[in-house]
Amino acid sequence: MAVRHLEVEVRREPGAAVLDLRGEINGFAQETLDAAYTEAEALGLETILLNFEGVDYINSTGIALIVGLLARARAAKRNLLACNLSDHYVEIFNITRLSDFVNVFPDEESALNGEAVQ
Amino acid sequence: MKAPRSGAHRTLAELSVPSEPGNERRAMEEVAGAVAGLELADPTLERLKTAVAEATMNAMEHGNLYRADAPVAIRVSASESELSIEITDEGSGPPTFDSETPDLEAKLEGVQTPRGWGLFLIKSMVDEMNITGDEHHHTVELIVHLDERAEGGK
Repeated sequence: MAVRHLEVEVRREPGAAVLDLRGEINGFAQETLDAAYTEAEALGLETILLNFEGVDYINSTGIALIVGLLARARAAKRNLLACNLSDHYVEIFNITRLSDFVNVFPDEESALNGEAVQ
Repeated sequence: MKAPRSGAHRTLAELSVPSEPGNERRAMEEVAGAVAGLELADPTLERLKTAVAEATMNAMEHGNLYRADAPVAIRVSASESELSIEITDEGSGPPTFDSETPDLEAKLEGVQTPRGWGLFLIKSMVDEMNITGDEHHHTVELIVHLDERAEGGK
């Protein structure tokens, strides 16, 4: 099974920079994810939304990368949000406690409207 | 100490995965195929896949040091009451896992490394995990209790 390397598109929406993630979030994803987050930061918005709609695999190294993004967001006093996680990865966000710090939404619309899942 | 085996186990598959980055996905998909006949509920299957991927990644990275000539062997077996996945690498000495319990706040404060989630995820995803080893191999065994599935187990 070939690795689906992460691809990220950054776009600006009213009130948030959105990172559209596609592929796998694993050890191969670090450079791409960090560069995309830096691009999103440069938009100067207070909120950054990670859209996981195109992500079908996150491993423990990927969780560590998301922790790294969260640390960057907190240091800059930005809100980091997540949307379109599968039920399984919502569970993983819960057991790792990422969801205590990253508000998780079912979809982009609810994220941008601030309707939290939990 | 390893718990006594529950009932007669039949082998569902014996797999071998080269120790190359990313191959943990191959392992988890092949295991998922091997257990298809058990008709696990989707959440149980997804948890099992994550546990298999993490244990295989650890075996490739820490046991086999990503040596291409050192495959990870995976044996899938089941009894009436439990599913067992044994993941064996060619490492020597004590099995290597980051033994520090991950603490997200400590990680965010830089007190802990952001990594170190593997063992925690494995333990969270299956009902039991056993680690054994000798001078030639390490084996991580993942166990899912099948008789608890219908009762809303993990």
